[in-house]
Amino acid sequence: MKPRSHSLAAATVVLAAAMLAAGCSSSGSGSKGEAGSSSGVVKLDFWGWAPGYDQSVALFNQSHPNIQVTFDKTASGSKGGYTKMLTAAKAGNAPCLAQVGYETLPSFAAAGALTDVGKYATDAKGQFADWTWKQVTIGGQTYGIPVDTAPMALMYRKDLFAKYGITTPPATWDEYAADAAKVHAADPTVYLGDLGNDAYNYAGLAWQAGAGWFGTAGDQWQVSINNAANQKVAGFWQGLLDKKLLKTDPSYDPSLYSDMASGKVLSDVNAVWDAPIIASSVKDGAGQWAVAPMPVWDAANPVYGNDGGSATAVLKGCGHAKEATEFATWMSTDADSVSNLIKVTGIYPAATSGLANPTLAAPDAFYGGQTIFDVFKAETAHINTDWQWGPTMTQTSTDLGDGLGQAGTGGTTLTAMLATVQSKTVAGMKQQGLSVAGG
Amino acid sequence: MTTALRGRAADRSRAAGLARPGRRRRGRPVALFLAPFLVPFAAFYLAPIGYTLYQSLFRMHRSGLGLTAPTQVFAGLSNYATALGDADFRGSLLRVLLIGLVQVPLMLLIALGLALLLDAKSTLFKRFFRLAFFLPYALPGVVGAIMWSYLVAPGLSPISAAARHLGLHLDLTSNAMLAPTIGNMLTWGWTGYNMLIIYSALQAIPAELSEAATMDGCSAFGIAWRIKVPLVRPALVLTTVFSIIGTAQLYNEPAILHNVAPNLSSTYTPIYAAYDAVNANNFNAAAAESVILALLAFVLSFGFLKLVQRKGAAL
Repeated sequence: MKPRSHSLAAATVVLAAAMLAAGCSSSGSGSKGEAGSSSGVVKLDFWGWAPGYDQSVALFNQSHPNIQVTFDKTASGSKGGYTKMLTAAKAGNAPCLAQVGYETLPSFAAAGALTDVGKYATDAKGQFADWTWKQVTIGGQTYGIPVDTAPMALMYRKDLFAKYGITTPPATWDEYAADAAKVHAADPTVYLGDLGNDAYNYAGLAWQAGAGWFGTAGDQWQVSINNAANQKVAGFWQGLLDKKLLKTDPSYDPSLYSDMASGKVLSDVNAVWDAPIIASSVKDGAGQWAVAPMPVWDAANPVYGNDGGSATAVLKGCGHAKEATEFATWMSTDADSVSNLIKVTGIYPAATSGLANPTLAAPDAFYGGQTIFDVFKAETAHINTDWQWGPTMTQTSTDLGDGLGQAGTGGTTLTAMLATVQSKTVAGMKQQGLSVAGG
Repeated sequence: MTTALRGRAADRSRAAGLARPGRRRRGRPVALFLAPFLVPFAAFYLAPIGYTLYQSLFRMHRSGLGLTAPTQVFAGLSNYATALGDADFRGSLLRVLLIGLVQVPLMLLIALGLALLLDAKSTLFKRFFRLAFFLPYALPGVVGAIMWSYLVAPGLSPISAAARHLGLHLDLTSNAMLAPTIGNMLTWGWTGYNMLIIYSALQAIPAELSEAATMDGCSAFGIAWRIKVPLVRPALVLTTVFSIIGTAQLYNEPAILHNVAPNLSSTYTPIYAAYDAVNANNFNAAAAESVILALLAFVLSFGFLKLVQRKGAAL
């Protein structure tokens, strides 16, 4: 009796411990990309949210029997996807591959959530424009492969522009302001554009104006969100808000698309990837929309903005960084994959070979049969390539999004909001142990 | 009684000359029977709390530009000082306090009123009303929040549209209206649940009490006020404590409402603020904020219990 109950108790404890241990590690062992021992097939997990990535993954799996990638759809980065990835990296069970925007890559680096793949990516480097390679190279380490860039443009209702007497889309911000006033004067319920609460869209506007947010001097970060150049950009948009010339629907919200569909919001300044989003969200407007270059500050010397672009990053703890890099490079450069990403995801390729992809020459029926990528192609040579992201962009973008939301409802002004975002960013960076100049 | 039993068992063991080994053997079956509770309790309750407390005492240390993996260093209580020094976080604590102070009594009054009406003899269609009042709770909270966010969204809100017909300008997502709107969402979602708890307590009251009161000439209102309400006091205390804890943990409603009300800040409630810190990859700050919130909920709910117990003793 005695020995039996003893062993039973011991067995229970061992079983419970084993179950706990299994629960903690089961998801980790598979996703870290350990080779399937029996077949020699390398299995990689890939987390991302963009539509169409799964099709490129399927193409890769067909042609690469020894590397099998599983694509898991997460919430989009700023809506929880990045949190999931960073939390997984902290817990030690992150996937090998992840879709990470250039803007968030420094935050991932600061969290120690990335794997340096520089030694596997030497061949890939030459296949991308220098500035996109700079976006994935942080502190001398290469953390992934660029997928796309995101030049911005003006997407507008051609028919309604004509109705309100705008014969050519505004080429400068001065013309944009004049057109905004013109439209609103003709019908007070109609607005030329919308100032949403998407921090990165606003970043694209600052990017265009050369109004940098972050820089480094020696071993210190410098934050310039509230500098004169940024005040100029904020002042322009606040001026339009003060005159009630802009709608302030939240970015990518059904209310914005309902206003676009009913002809209350006539245009949007947004990135190349927003073109298919508008097309699918405002289906009734098919054929009436068109794409024009983003309005510029100086017509004689046009400079354009970039809003987004992302990399396929290799995360911490990846046991197959070489294969992961091979996949990431293939996805960004293979002609079939790039065609798929252009068609379904709406990317504008970062690979130099991708710019010649025939899919980019396809006319778009939603935009009245226009070859919309020609507009973006013409802009690429004039995009400011010096922009540097900071290591706490998640926080900065949240605070900026809050500020944009408040400014939209009159709770604050864009110009005042920048000071708040600046001080919160500096405080947040200090709290995370980063050395920051000034404050 | 247990002492007597234990004494008797000890006598028997002593008589058999097995006192010491017997005592040791008794521990094992006890451990065996407790293990199914204790192991998950330790793993899923105590361990996360312990880990949160541990995390809250550290901060990240980075060298240079900090673009490589950081190291964790002991920080004492500095995360707590930072959290309490942060005006946004303090604001979020104050906000849930104010929302709770107004919304919880209001909701429980409505719940009590509905429960008394359902319990009254003359009420018709009791089963239908009981189900109808309870229905909002049967909906997942997030679904209710999405529904309400469309009912209050500027440009879509039928409530604002109706107010416009009356010549009123009503923006239910303006800064001033956010708290009332959230309070309304909470009340809608939880009144039925609380009503059901109070109603079950009412059902347990013996019918003789009401009959005796009626014989003594007590009105229906008097029965409700003098007999039923004092007897369901434990249920009211319970629902109040649940509601205090629930309000402290407010997250779903503001998070969903944020989609249509971008002016609702990402630090609107303490949990929202802690989640914001997690998003910013600042797990240590999030841990400290979570501990502060847990302490607040603990102090409020136990403070309330102490308060009503003292009052109860005085009565």
